[in-house]
Amino acid sequence: MILARVVGQVWATKKNPWLQGQKLLVLRPLTWYNPEHHCDHIIAVDPVGAEVGQDVVCCLGLPTRWELGDERYPVEASVAAIVDLVEVYKSACEKPKFTFMKGHKPTKIVERD
Amino acid sequence: MNRGIVIGEVFATKKNQKIKGYKLLLVCLLDEMKKPTQRVVVAVDTVDAGVSDEVVVAFGSGARNAVKPLSRDVLVDCAIVQVIEGVESFT
Repeated sequence: MILARVVGQVWATKKNPWLQGQKLLVLRPLTWYNPEHHCDHIIAVDPVGAEVGQDVVCCLGLPTRWELGDERYPVEASVAAIVDLVEVYKSACEKPKFTFMKGHKPTKIVERD
Repeated sequence: MNRGIVIGEVFATKKNQKIKGYKLLLVCLLDEMKKPTQRVVVAVDTVDAGVSDEVVVAFGSGARNAVKPLSRDVLVDCAIVQVIEGVESFT
C-alpha cells in the first residue's frame, strides 16, 4: 500500500458499466515502492468516503477488484483507509538516514524521538 | 519479498472492514548494501513488529496469504511477514 493525498475528484457520465456508481478520486502519491511504476497521480475508486485534502492509504492491484466483489471490475487502485495521523520516529530514520521528499510530506505528521 | 526498516506508524480510524484491527506500519525499503532507498510502503503488520526493527515485507498475493490464507478479497498488497535478527552474507 502507499500513502497518497486526495487532490481531486473525477466526474464522468459515459463510463464502463462496471464503474457505474463508483466514486473516483485523483490521488497524488506521497510514497512509492516501485520506481518503474512511478507517476505523479493515480485515479482510485473510493469505497471508504475520502474527501479532497485528506491523506489516504491506497491499495494497488488485484485485491482492489475482489474487494468490490468481482474480478471483472476495471479497477486497479482503491482507497483502503483514511489517515488520521502519521507517526515517524527520528531514531529509526537516522540509521539509515531517511527523510520525506519536499512537498511529499503527509499533512498530519508527528515526529518522535 | 524485500528487506526494510520500520520508521513509523500510520493511524486510521476510518478504514476498510477487512483490515480492521491490523496495525499499519511505515516501512522504508533497503537495498542490498543496507542503504535506504526513497521507497516507502505502508505495510500491514502480521508479526507485531516494532519501530526501527528490520523486517521482511511481502508484496502481492503473498501479503494477502500472510493476513488471511487463501483469500482474495482482503484489501492488502504489502505485509510484514518477518522480523530480521541477523543476516549472514557470503560474498
